[in-house]
Amino acid sequence: MARVKRAINAQKKRRTVLETASGYRGQRSRLYRKAKEQVLHSMQYAYRDRRDRKGDFRQLWITRINAGARANGLTYNRLIQGLRLAGVEVDRKILADLAVTDATAFAALVQVARAAVAGAGPTAEAA
Amino acid sequence: MRTYSPKPGEIERRWHVIDAADVVLGRLATHAATLLRGKHKPVFAPHVDTGDFVIIVNAGKVALTGNKRHTKVAYRHSGYPGGLKQIGYDELLTKRPERAVELAVKGMLPHNRLGRKLIRKLKVYPGAEHPHAAQQPVPYEIKQIAQ
Repeated sequence: MARVKRAINAQKKRRTVLETASGYRGQRSRLYRKAKEQVLHSMQYAYRDRRDRKGDFRQLWITRINAGARANGLTYNRLIQGLRLAGVEVDRKILADLAVTDATAFAALVQVARAAVAGAGPTAEAA
Repeated sequence: MRTYSPKPGEIERRWHVIDAADVVLGRLATHAATLLRGKHKPVFAPHVDTGDFVIIVNAGKVALTGNKRHTKVAYRHSGYPGGLKQIGYDELLTKRPERAVELAVKGMLPHNRLGRKLIRKLKVYPGAEHPHAAQQPVPYEIKQIAQ
């Protein structure tokens, strides 16, 4: 069987890892052993955080909607309750964008929600 | 569609003045922290300072509930061995009431570089006077008052 020498492939493997690790702090961008470990972790973090990102944005939208709703005298909780009762299907992403860019449209939606909450009965009074 | 991300230049900052007389310390601090972070604005973003300036007057008249005026203690450390200093709120509120309010608000802001930047927009004064008339601060009302 032919003898396999590893020089080129080993060098290539190390080069790819070190290139991926460029910009890392200290030894982690310079020494192969440290860089390899960090790259393995980094790829796991990136995979996890791509999924977490969906939740991060939803969280931010809710914070913004709450700010806009409170400026119109309703809490986030009551706003969402009212929109559901009124059958409004504008999602949080669009609601947050409206709160930032189109305050009058957002205020109109808050009015819709307020009317729906008030109409739902005494157990669901507006906050 | 991309979620809006504020640029440092396009944030509109207002000035609020809060009268701390007879307001419970922690309740005062939550309001101040919200305004400093900008969580009352739809343009809020966690990585940028989107907040307003907050002036707190009458810090000396702030209220503490229960027996905290006599039992609550503020600690700091000089960095040297045995360098832990402590001061009771009874004494702190008479000597440096603005420090008590600053500590309470600081504890409610993020403990990172951004939080340290946010705290600089807080101006606390023990009396009813403040030197920020030129910024035309708007009174901010806190409805709940200590008994």
